[in-house]
Amino acid sequence: MCGIAGVVFKDSKIHPVGNFMTKMLEALQHRGPDSAGFAIYGGLGLLENEYLLNIEIKETPGLLEQVKNTVNSTTPIKKEEIIPSVEDYIIYRCKIALNSFNELKPLIMDIDDINNVIVLNGSHSFEMIKDVGLVKDIAERYNTQDKKGTHAIGHTRFSTESLVDRYHAHPFQSYIIPDITVVHNGQITNYWKIRDPLERKGHIFETTNDTECIVHYIADKLNEGYKLEEALEQSVKDMDGPFSYIVGTPNGVGIAKDQLGLRPGVMAENDEVFAIASEEIALREVMDTHDIDQISPGEARAYTI
Amino acid sequence: MEEVIIDAQGKTPREVNQILKISCKDNDKFVVKNPNAMHYIAAGLTEPVDVVIDGSAGYFAGTMIHGARIHINGNAGWFPGDNMTEGEVIVDGSAGDGVGQGIYGGTVVIKKDAGSRTGEIMKNGTIIIGGNSGFMTGLFMMGGRIIILGDISDDAGESIIRGVIYIKGAIKSLGKNAKVEEVNDADKKELEELLPQYGFNLEHGEYADFKKIVPLSKRPFYGKESEEG
Repeated sequence: MCGIAGVVFKDSKIHPVGNFMTKMLEALQHRGPDSAGFAIYGGLGLLENEYLLNIEIKETPGLLEQVKNTVNSTTPIKKEEIIPSVEDYIIYRCKIALNSFNELKPLIMDIDDINNVIVLNGSHSFEMIKDVGLVKDIAERYNTQDKKGTHAIGHTRFSTESLVDRYHAHPFQSYIIPDITVVHNGQITNYWKIRDPLERKGHIFETTNDTECIVHYIADKLNEGYKLEEALEQSVKDMDGPFSYIVGTPNGVGIAKDQLGLRPGVMAENDEVFAIASEEIALREVMDTHDIDQISPGEARAYTI
Repeated sequence: MEEVIIDAQGKTPREVNQILKISCKDNDKFVVKNPNAMHYIAAGLTEPVDVVIDGSAGYFAGTMIHGARIHINGNAGWFPGDNMTEGEVIVDGSAGDGVGQGIYGGTVVIKKDAGSRTGEIMKNGTIIIGGNSGFMTGLFMMGGRIIILGDISDDAGESIIRGVIYIKGAIKSLGKNAKVEEVNDADKKELEELLPQYGFNLEHGEYADFKKIVPLSKRPFYGKESEEG
């Protein structure tokens, strides 16, 4: 049992979406206490060739410098920030410029080669915030209420299949194409059947977490030319197990639910906002919920701006 | 007796339910303000009291009640009225999956649409859905009646053993062991007496629009035709 949520402001303008998503996730806290995460799109304001790296580093003498040297050997660090976390770890954030998106994943793999260091994500059009613990503590640590953007997805995790740590907190990201994220409630029971053809195409898996499998699957479909809703619909046919998951892209969000409808999903919208979540209690944080829709078994919905 | 107002704001479901259970010994009307889609409201109430939930409820609203009458002004999440034995759960808005799951008696009414598996494993009692009802409505139903005024989705009456599902709208597809029959005069009379009690005022002629889903066999898995009855 996890909590998932997504919200889009239809006018494509910048709104306090971090504050809204924080409230939605606090409302879903009872669905998962292990970790929580946000992907907040549209508010970073990076130049076309700029990226933000989010790196978890164990507090060990010299390790931060080693990470900086590794980044600087590829591209100069333009801006940096250190956010204290828990359990003797810090989150090191730096802004860099690359010649192309294709250089991002190799740089991340170089940094990941350093012991006690892992890149939580690298993004251009969204800010990833994820950590272990409760939403209110994470929100305070990362000032999520002050984050602005056009849309966001978020998650509260009740772990069932893999480790509880920052990396396994949702959202998960794929680097097949830029800035695709997924939050997920459930299990993909034909995981290896989905993963195998993706690996044969050269896509890199970092974990055995089924949410990572979903995000690569969706990114691969989008890369092949599927529209978001088409990719979601195909996933419902291809994937087995109980699941509902939300995808974030630079242009919107979407939800898909398994064919037996074994995980919840509700939706509401008005002229300004499109919102989806595990439960109505989260939707109520962003709009009047006089009329809500249940996402049906096997159904996919998306809203793009 | 005086109406008791319970403000759910800042309270846990357990705290709200403790107030209800303690107070219902001396009071018979309650209003739960600011429910904010909270789960488990009025779980296990065994007194014949009236409870108005002034907004939306979350999962398992009115689960396992015996005699209480619960009116939800907003929507309900999954499993409203779950396993109740007697009483009413009335939802003015829509509801999620498993409406009236496993009920033994009483009545659950959803004025708008319901999600999947409405009335799954119900043994007796009545469920009325004012709008559409989703996937596998009446899954492994073992008794009682479901009335759907809108459409019913795929696999309607999946593995139904006993009981009946009345549908006014379209049936998308039938589940295993389900068959469709025309309603007879006794069915129409039963519906005409029941539905207006809950604000569904149909024209007399509209009762002929209903069809009913009933079991093909009472022993669909291992039994023989000779063992039916």
